Amino acid sequence: MLATVLTAQPVPPADKLSAPAIDYGAIMPVLIVLGAACVGVLVEAFLPKHQRWPVQVVLSLATLAGAGIAMAVYLGDESTPKNGVITLAGTLAVDRPALFLWGTLLVLTLGALLLIADRSVEPGGAFVAEAAIRPGTIQDRAQVAGTGMQTEVFPLTLFALGGMMVFTSANDLLTMFIALEVLSLPLYLMCGLARRRRLLSQEAAVKYFLLGAFASAFFLYGLALLYGYAGSVKLADISNAAAGTDRSDALLFGGLGLLVVGLLFKASVGPFHTWTPDVYQGAPTPITAFMAACTKVAAFGGMLRVLQVGFESTSWEWRGVLWGVAIVSMVIGAVLGLTQTDVKRMIAYSSIAHAGFLLIGSIALTDQGLSGTLFYLLTYGFTTLAAFGVISLVRNADGEATHLSQWAGLAKRSPVTAAVFTFILLALAGIPLTSGFVGKFVIFSAALQDGMAPLVVIALIASAVAAFFYLRVIVLMYFSEPAADGPSVTVPGAFTTASITLGVIATLVLGVLPAFALDWAGSGTFAFQ
Amino acid sequence: MNTAPVVPAVTTSPSASFLLWLLLLVPLLGGIAVAFLRDAKTAKLAALGIALLEFVLVIPTWIAYDPAGSRIQLSSSMDWIPNFGVHLALGVDGISLVMIALIGLLMPIVIGSSWADKLPEGRSVGGFYALLLVMQAGMIGVFAATDVFLFYVFFEAVLVPMYFLIGRFGGPRRQYAAVKFFLYSLLGGLIMLGSVIGLYVVSGDKLGSGTLDWATLTTVISQESQATQTWLFLGFFVAFAIKAPLVPLHTWLPDAAAEAPVGVGVLLVGILDKIGTYGFLRYCLPMFPAASKDLAPLVLVLGVAGLLYGALLATGQNDMKRFVAYTSIAHFGFIAVGIFAFSSQSVSGAVLYMFNHGLSTGMLFLVVGMVIARGGSTLISDYGGMAKLTPLLGGLFLVAGLAGLSLPGTNSFVSEFLVLIGAYPSRPVFAILATIGMILAALYVLWAYQRIMHGPVRGDALLGALKGPGAVAAPETATRQGIKDLDAREIAVLTPLVVLIIVLGFYPAPILDVIGPSVEATLHSVIPLGGN
Amino acid sequence: MSAVLAAAAAEVSTGEAIAFWVLGPVALAGALGMIFARNAVHSALWLVLTMLSLGVMYMVQQAPFLGFVQIIVYTGAVMMLFLFVLMLVGRDSSDSVVEVLRGQRLWATVLGIGIAGLIVGAVSRSLTDVPVENLQQQNAGGANVNNLGKSIFTEYLFPFELTSALLITAAMGAMVLGYLNRHEKGMKRTQKELVEARFRGEYERPSPLPGPGVFATANSVATPALLPDGSVAPESLSRLIDSTASETFSDEIKSVAGTEPGPDAHALTPSTKDTSTTDTKNTEDTEETR
Repeated sequence: MLATVLTAQPVPPADKLSAPAIDYGAIMPVLIVLGAACVGVLVEAFLPKHQRWPVQVVLSLATLAGAGIAMAVYLGDESTPKNGVITLAGTLAVDRPALFLWGTLLVLTLGALLLIADRSVEPGGAFVAEAAIRPGTIQDRAQVAGTGMQTEVFPLTLFALGGMMVFTSANDLLTMFIALEVLSLPLYLMCGLARRRRLLSQEAAVKYFLLGAFASAFFLYGLALLYGYAGSVKLADISNAAAGTDRSDALLFGGLGLLVVGLLFKASVGPFHTWTPDVYQGAPTPITAFMAACTKVAAFGGMLRVLQVGFESTSWEWRGVLWGVAIVSMVIGAVLGLTQTDVKRMIAYSSIAHAGFLLIGSIALTDQGLSGTLFYLLTYGFTTLAAFGVISLVRNADGEATHLSQWAGLAKRSPVTAAVFTFILLALAGIPLTSGFVGKFVIFSAALQDGMAPLVVIALIASAVAAFFYLRVIVLMYFSEPAADGPSVTVPGAFTTASITLGVIATLVLGVLPAFALDWAGSGTFAFQ
Repeated sequence: MNTAPVVPAVTTSPSASFLLWLLLLVPLLGGIAVAFLRDAKTAKLAALGIALLEFVLVIPTWIAYDPAGSRIQLSSSMDWIPNFGVHLALGVDGISLVMIALIGLLMPIVIGSSWADKLPEGRSVGGFYALLLVMQAGMIGVFAATDVFLFYVFFEAVLVPMYFLIGRFGGPRRQYAAVKFFLYSLLGGLIMLGSVIGLYVVSGDKLGSGTLDWATLTTVISQESQATQTWLFLGFFVAFAIKAPLVPLHTWLPDAAAEAPVGVGVLLVGILDKIGTYGFLRYCLPMFPAASKDLAPLVLVLGVAGLLYGALLATGQNDMKRFVAYTSIAHFGFIAVGIFAFSSQSVSGAVLYMFNHGLSTGMLFLVVGMVIARGGSTLISDYGGMAKLTPLLGGLFLVAGLAGLSLPGTNSFVSEFLVLIGAYPSRPVFAILATIGMILAALYVLWAYQRIMHGPVRGDALLGALKGPGAVAAPETATRQGIKDLDAREIAVLTPLVVLIIVLGFYPAPILDVIGPSVEATLHSVIPLGGN
Repeated sequence: MSAVLAAAAAEVSTGEAIAFWVLGPVALAGALGMIFARNAVHSALWLVLTMLSLGVMYMVQQAPFLGFVQIIVYTGAVMMLFLFVLMLVGRDSSDSVVEVLRGQRLWATVLGIGIAGLIVGAVSRSLTDVPVENLQQQNAGGANVNNLGKSIFTEYLFPFELTSALLITAAMGAMVLGYLNRHEKGMKRTQKELVEARFRGEYERPSPLPGPGVFATANSVATPALLPDGSVAPESLSRLIDSTASETFSDEIKSVAGTEPGPDAHALTPSTKDTSTTDTKNTEDTEETR
């Protein structure tokens, strides 16, 4: 590649620079998303306030559709290489797993975007009209009644999506780091933009920002150490360097450790999970849905690539540690989830437990492990998206009623909502005929094949414990009498309905007829170059 | 092993295989349809119609099954998730056919017995019957599946309707009972999932690509090493022991049975629990013969412990539904002893007992439900001398009780006797202990009968239910406005059970003929290793 | 160490040696000055000196990019921000000498020596054992600035372009969180409306809050204004910034209040002495509770 040419024979100063080759077809989805995000910023700048919402919604949906079509065209093209292309001077690897993750991210973002765009559940949308107004002031009370919203969330979402897509296909750690920041920064911002309970939301944003910055620093430090070890930030170079050299292992494992801490933080794997419940609870629910579904996909996508491409040869040394991390994550998620009294926090702890399961799949360094984890990400994303969609519907006068006691007897008030949420909870618990079950099956079978039987047993017990708190919600909804001043269930508008339907149908289809998605998830491995 | 998949010898009368699909789909689709019926009466009638249709469908299935034919019959299979070698495969052997027949038989009875149930306020009648029918489909699926994955799916799927049936329509502590039931079963199910995945992985190592086809797995896994078999066996065993329930894992059953509505309770102890013992026969023995043989003493100890413990607790119970639950635990201990004694008589006896227990305990549960419906209390101490007011009910209570204690001439006697003579040669100690259990059974049944039905009319519930002048002062002569004897519906519900209990007590051959070859085939996988 | 330096010195040109021997002591002096300076602003300025010398040293050692980054980022941006904050908070606010954590000094000493040992070890090893690699290559074709530019626009083109997304997001985030449309109706009152509202009693007080104290020795926002009786005007203090301890101004307070001890008729009277000691004690107490 060009990069090697450059380093191998230094060009004389008179020479012109030649730009790296770019496979535009392959990276078109990313370009579309990032380009549209910039257009969205311009829309904010030039359109009057009342026109922004419709334009932004249309623009964002068109972007997702366009990116999806671009990807379909690329996949449908006969000349597309089966084992992926590495483009832009080796910084991006567009291979099958990356394309699967891109597709997953695009569809999940579509669902989250529909929730973000909804203005019927909460009049005016879940976002504050003017974030700069201090909470609790006269102006703030005035704006609660208004119907405006900060339409900047649309371009911010697209930027985050672009960052996630790059993150999952980054072939070197530097690109990965910048993508990590690109995906994180909009999320930090959007966490603080809730219309209701603004102080809680802002606290969540600050917490997420500070801890996230800390995690980024870990990642960067690890990157620096690995560069010192291998003399390159490319994953393949690090892998080659690690295979049979006498270089200092301290640099390699110190770097890997720090790098992985940064990744585990983003994926909210315990014990690096402490931000998760607070942020999930405080952030506007559509953003929580976006984070829970898409960030997890991106983080584990990145982690899979780092572990499988960069560090497979040294797996013997680090795998034990990640075993421990997976166990801790499952136990924390399952046990602390039992004590929660807030639905959003409960789902947050459930996501920590699920992160433990995903980590099991990620450290099974086989093709089954890869395809299983990819499939699990797809299923989990849809389920959690629908879960937060439903949570946003149960409201009282103060906004969302997320306290568990307020959900008592929900089945009587709204049988459909209760049935949908029950189905989602059963999927999270991994009951057969839901996608959660198939996901668990693929991950655990990959883990068993890779000789991780004890981990599988612990995971199964953790799922049984976690099932208890899912059941508790079902018990509350169906078997308890509704409280007199309980919340009402809002009849959702078209956007939220579409989003929840998308999540539920995907959960069902992936549970009953998973073969096509499994085929797709297993259609190829990471490109190594 | 070569890598070619082993062709299962299953293809007799493929033309009739659609019967199993019908058996599965009729209650499933019927249940979904019933859920949408708003009118209570229509819903009940529709549910009853579907259950009777199902029963009618069982008859040609029974006829189409040839006891002398191959191991699995009426089989059919289609791809489901090719990535894991998972098929939608149905088929029956003698054992599962008998269980399916039991489901078909009990279901109309359960619906008939629930006819006059007062559901908790605000619960829809259609929902209740829909859940019953969906559960029927699930249970038929459990017994008809010949793919381990499919079996697991049904095994877990049955939990959900049962959970809602107990939790929504049960007694005062229904929430607790429902959650306990679900968690126990789910925990067992998840442990079994570990073993199912293990089967897939191990077969993948052997055959090149993993499969979950039952027939293939029995040939592959039974060749595996002792350690592998033991681990996989334990996963299945724990799940089935919870389901059955064997003694240390039984605590969910009394709660669930006590809180469940009567009809649901019949299904719970009559059929759902049989999944556990059926699982021993269908999965544990053929797939892990070496492990089964190794761990048989453990299971026998648990079985005998359950037998005695269940009997003792049944003696001490004051709650009638819990009483029936504990008698069931005792009986399941008996069945487990029969299965793991590994002789053809004992296993045949155990399978026959699985069928008979469904009839006798089902009837006992129904009769108890009728007593409770009259007195409004579940406590034995709230009743007394009821036979004077309701002689017919008292008589049928006695019939059910005698079938429960295995009086000669009732169906249970044949099965218990077979288990005992089958177990005695190889496991004399356990056989003798089991006999003690039989004696205890006579004690607890007759004592309960005596307390409820005999003596002077007494008890708060009974007296409270009596109306009219001087009822409390002179209950014997009071006008019997409050307590009526069985009505036509109740008689219609109980008659088939009484007839079967007595007929099968004298002539069990039709059932024994069907299960015999399957039992032999099951044992064949264990005995060649040296038997006992 | 000196042997290594001597060996290395064999390859350095005279100019470089001169630069080193000038800049080295300056950098060291800056570092020591930073530690020992009593005044925070002086301390920061000493640090600037060290960083500038380091930057120049990088340049002398053919690392012009690193040198400029050192000056622009650290000296230019970071240190100026530091100074800005220090000035804002009050350049004379000094460290509290009370140990908040027990054994802090001991541990600080131990860990400080430890890290010094580590650094010395690392540096000496890098000077003796570790071979220099690829230095020629990095500096070929002009200087390393050129090569850096080249890799930004070829090898790392994509990450470089991607940072623009980061910057756009950051700018937009700042707008979202900070920009308030004050011209909108009901957002901000005109001066006239404000005055009227103040006198109508919609605010706590009709006049603005008093400014900070302006004295010959201090005029930062942290300095409290004094009332005619010599007491501190609480409203002049910011809620956000730690105030300068009021005993710093005890002389001013006394002179304003007229309680300054006169030339001594009652120097030996115990009563005045006693009150003065209790006074200081009180201020100390309030300081601690704060």
